[in-house]
Amino acid sequence: MTEQTAHPSPAASGSATNGAIVLDQVGKTYGSGEGAVEAIRSISLTFAQGQSVAIVGPSGCGKSTLMRMIAGLDDLTAGSIRIGDRQVTGPVRDIGVVFQRDLLLDWRSVLDNVLLPAEIRGMDMAAASKRAMALLEELDVAGFAKHYPWQLSGGMRQRVAIARALLPSPHLMFLDEPFSALDAMTRDQMNVLLQQIQAAEHVTTLLITHSILEAVFVADRVLVMSGRPGAILDDITVDFPRPRKLELRETPAFTAIVGRIREQFVKTGDLVG
Amino acid sequence: MKAGSIPASQSATGRAAPGLAARARRHFAVLFPPLLSAVIGLGLWEGVVRWLEMPSFVLPPPSSVVFVMIEYWGYLVSQLAWTVMAAAVGVLIGISLGIIAGAGIAMSGIIDRMLTPWLVIIHAIPKVVVAPLFLIWFGFGVQSEIFFVVTFTFFPVVVATITGLKSADPEVLLLVRSMGADRGQVLRKILFPSAMPTILSGVKLSVSLAPVGAVIGEFVASNQGLGHLLIRAVGDMDTALAFAAVTLFSIFGVLLWRAAEFVEGKLLPWHPSQRGDLASNRK
Repeated sequence: MTEQTAHPSPAASGSATNGAIVLDQVGKTYGSGEGAVEAIRSISLTFAQGQSVAIVGPSGCGKSTLMRMIAGLDDLTAGSIRIGDRQVTGPVRDIGVVFQRDLLLDWRSVLDNVLLPAEIRGMDMAAASKRAMALLEELDVAGFAKHYPWQLSGGMRQRVAIARALLPSPHLMFLDEPFSALDAMTRDQMNVLLQQIQAAEHVTTLLITHSILEAVFVADRVLVMSGRPGAILDDITVDFPRPRKLELRETPAFTAIVGRIREQFVKTGDLVG
Repeated sequence: MKAGSIPASQSATGRAAPGLAARARRHFAVLFPPLLSAVIGLGLWEGVVRWLEMPSFVLPPPSSVVFVMIEYWGYLVSQLAWTVMAAAVGVLIGISLGIIAGAGIAMSGIIDRMLTPWLVIIHAIPKVVVAPLFLIWFGFGVQSEIFFVVTFTFFPVVVATITGLKSADPEVLLLVRSMGADRGQVLRKILFPSAMPTILSGVKLSVSLAPVGAVIGEFVASNQGLGHLLIRAVGDMDTALAFAAVTLFSIFGVLLWRAAEFVEGKLLPWHPSQRGDLASNRK
């Protein structure tokens, strides 16, 4: 039903430097024989280090599967994935993950929640504490470091989850629908915060979202994915200067990009125009 | 619930006192109904016993229970101490074994399939009925009594530990695995802490069962403790002394329950049951 129109990825053949993430002909098929379901068809992509990439697509298009495969939490059935010069074969340690649910541990204070990855990796705790406080400061929740998660609002909890993901200074931060449980105003606020901290931390970011507005506002590059089997329909560079303000969303240039993406979904029938 | 707050101007001591006075009034409002109920209940008991001229060995009036309690205070307390000691040793062993067995069953399918049938069968045996067997196996004395407490307190903790360890959020487990946590870290940092509320509810149940187990053990296999005292008092038709022992025992039981709740609150300040943020919804 869909043509693959993804950009050719020249780096896929092995000239990747430092932290670039290279997907080469990645595919995923569940089951085999008659009942096989092809979830993802031959995706080749390169993410430069520090790039902020958003993936938009309809439900069930394999966005989360793709993400899990990059994180090494799910096997691929075709192609290969490299981060820097290492082939992904098992869980990649160098990744911070943020899910739709914040998954904070109720029995730990905010600060101790952020410090969890440092404890697990046996990092120097004094240095980790300092970094945790700095991150909480940047995300504007430092005043709640001693509080427990239940004392925080949904938006604040998700900021703590982002601080936890960023604590070990990962190569890559994955955000899987991180704000879809939040109300619209909080979500706008979180979008502003996310693109701020992404720029400050210079971490490669992969944001999966249903919201076209969110994708275009936060990312340097938006990948549009089709429904099953998942493939890349469009690859759009978004080069608005940073820091971005919410007013950006009212500008014609912004609206044009949003329109272009929406059109893709209308064409595939995933969105009724 | 605002009935207790009377304007501050009525207080003679001025601005600082109203808080105190209001609090005293509120305490009084809370405590008055149960106190009144106790006075009426005990008064009726006393009155009926005296009016019907019941013999003391059938039903002693509350006043004579109090007199006996005062008269035999030292003896009663020393017997209570014995029971408490046996219950404490037994419950500590029971809880430890329960947590170890529960963790083994929850973490390993093989241990689960090997151990669980035994536990189900043993748990199904009415323990009071086999108490005399303990006398044969372990002899007359405190060891039988302690073993009896262990069998009473072991099961609630096993069940709670298994349930608790198996109810961790799968997404949280995925998250910590993505952080690179090994099995031991997952157990220490996620599984046990998230199982704590459930384990503690099992422990609380065990703690409240322990003195009961000890007393039953003393009925059968001991010449010490409140259980033994109770058997002897009934044998001597000294019903007032038996009532005194039972009263002391139940006061101790209430205090023990309160202590367990207090410890629970200290260990789980984060848990919904302890936060008290919804307490105002209770009428």
